[in-house]
Amino acid sequence: MMRGAQPIRTLFLSGHVFLLFAVMATYKEASLATRPKTLDPAEYFNLSPDYRRAEEKRAALRAQLKRQYLQQLNNPHRKELIEDPALTRWTYARTNNNYFRPTAKTSLIGGLFGVLPLFALYLVFKTDRVS
Amino acid sequence: MLKVLIPTIMLFPTIWLTSPKWLWTTTTAHSLLIASISLTWLKWTSETGWTSSNMYLAKGPLLTPLLVLTCWLLPLMILASQNHINPEPISRERLYITLLALLQTFLIMAFGATEIIMFYIMFEATLIPTLIIITRWGNQTERLNAGTYFLFYTLAGSLPLLVALLLLQQSTGTLSMLVLQYSQPLQLNSWGHMFWWAGCLIAFLVKMPLYGVHLWLPKAHVEAPVAGSMVLAAVLLKLGGYGMMRMMVMLDPLSKELAYPFIILALWGIIMTGSICLRQTDLKSLIAYSSVSHMGLVAGGILIQTPWGFSGAIILMIAHGLVSSALFCLANTAYERTHSRTMILARGLQVIFPLTAVWWFIANLANLALPPLPNLMGELMIITTLFNWSPWTILLTGLGTLITAGYSLYMFLMSQRGPTPNHIMGLQPFHTREHLLMTLHLIPVILLVTKPELMWGWCY
Repeated sequence: MMRGAQPIRTLFLSGHVFLLFAVMATYKEASLATRPKTLDPAEYFNLSPDYRRAEEKRAALRAQLKRQYLQQLNNPHRKELIEDPALTRWTYARTNNNYFRPTAKTSLIGGLFGVLPLFALYLVFKTDRVS
Repeated sequence: MLKVLIPTIMLFPTIWLTSPKWLWTTTTAHSLLIASISLTWLKWTSETGWTSSNMYLAKGPLLTPLLVLTCWLLPLMILASQNHINPEPISRERLYITLLALLQTFLIMAFGATEIIMFYIMFEATLIPTLIIITRWGNQTERLNAGTYFLFYTLAGSLPLLVALLLLQQSTGTLSMLVLQYSQPLQLNSWGHMFWWAGCLIAFLVKMPLYGVHLWLPKAHVEAPVAGSMVLAAVLLKLGGYGMMRMMVMLDPLSKELAYPFIILALWGIIMTGSICLRQTDLKSLIAYSSVSHMGLVAGGILIQTPWGFSGAIILMIAHGLVSSALFCLANTAYERTHSRTMILARGLQVIFPLTAVWWFIANLANLALPPLPNLMGELMIITTLFNWSPWTILLTGLGTLITAGYSLYMFLMSQRGPTPNHIMGLQPFHTREHLLMTLHLIPVILLVTKPELMWGWCY
């Protein structure tokens, strides 16, 4: 319910009070600002129902994950760390050299930084010490 | 020597016969007594190179600091392991401490050995308890891989050493270091002699480790439990350095040309491993690579064979042993609380653990070689002698010092400063035991600033 609207009260004969709100807020953006994406009506009008359903599912998943995280975060009896699978995947990818393949580029870099300096330094030191 | 060796051997009955309630107290007290007896060795009375009470075990200015370091580390290792070994059944706890004491015995005998064959046997023997500690009590499945790398790298390096020692025995008739230092310089002029030269040194270079053969070290250090990491970083690497220092005496005429590739590998390794440190995500892995970097400097200093190089190498070995072990203890405290070694996970610890932040600060400052601390003195001596050897090395060592400062600061800022993650709670406050552990590591480093003559080796 949009809080910007005025509540209209009508008094019925039975004495109950009903509040009626306007259907949609009359939001006008500032003159130089742009409307945020979630409030832009053009975003909603030409979405296919499939896309809307998919988006709802995604939002539901996100809400579930967030609920799970918040449950764990605010659990007063929790003593351990909240496990983050993304962090686990990231550390695994970084620490084990699974993603290294000896291609032409990596061999070139390896040779340039690992093999060539040894010979270059040998020449430098040898000529310097001999002279 | 025996007054330390016999109490160390008697540590085994102590471990197995104490009641479980008093196990940790007794073993820590016993090993502290051994450590304090070993401190009496530091009083240097004679002017000769070696003092020995018998033909087989001796002490000298080169190895006394290393021996004291070894004995000092045993109570620290037992203190550090107390927490993570506690849940296990009592006989396994006893077994763990037995392995540590066994390692200690082998190390004392290795450092004190006068015969090179005894040194070699003890050098190999230290591999076994370390292997058992890594593969049995490590924490991840990669520990099997780590143990294999550790064992086979060192073994593959040291089998040529055995052949070389047997050849030496055959040609000179003795392998006692007391005698060999007075023998005639050997005629080394053929290809076979070059292989002999390489065979003598490769074992120690793998152990140091040298940059090209350093691959076992990050694996072994990361997968080992804290006591294993401590003893690996502090003492076992220095076993390689000490072995090299002893062997270089005899290898002289050929070393001038053949040492070039190894010096270059060592120097380039300082920069490469330092750069790798800057990209690490795993805290223990960072400390392991920094060990490789410092040891590269030590290897360079030893291979140059100048008095300053040897002194600098020994000072840096002692200082690095204490500081690296301290850093591994600190990493272990973070690991025990969060069960993860990822650096970005345990951030902002200064807010919650202020006193520990002081220990992190001092340990990282020592690692980056802050002035009066012996780390800097050793590094400076090595850098100076390398400059004397060839002025171009200053580029490499200067850049290496810069990168060292970079990653030490990175480690400190990453673990202490920054936002504390919201979802970490229930971190136990720091135990007195852990604070004691850190003080016992860092106070000797600071005290060595006042009397560096204890460490200088032959150049007193």
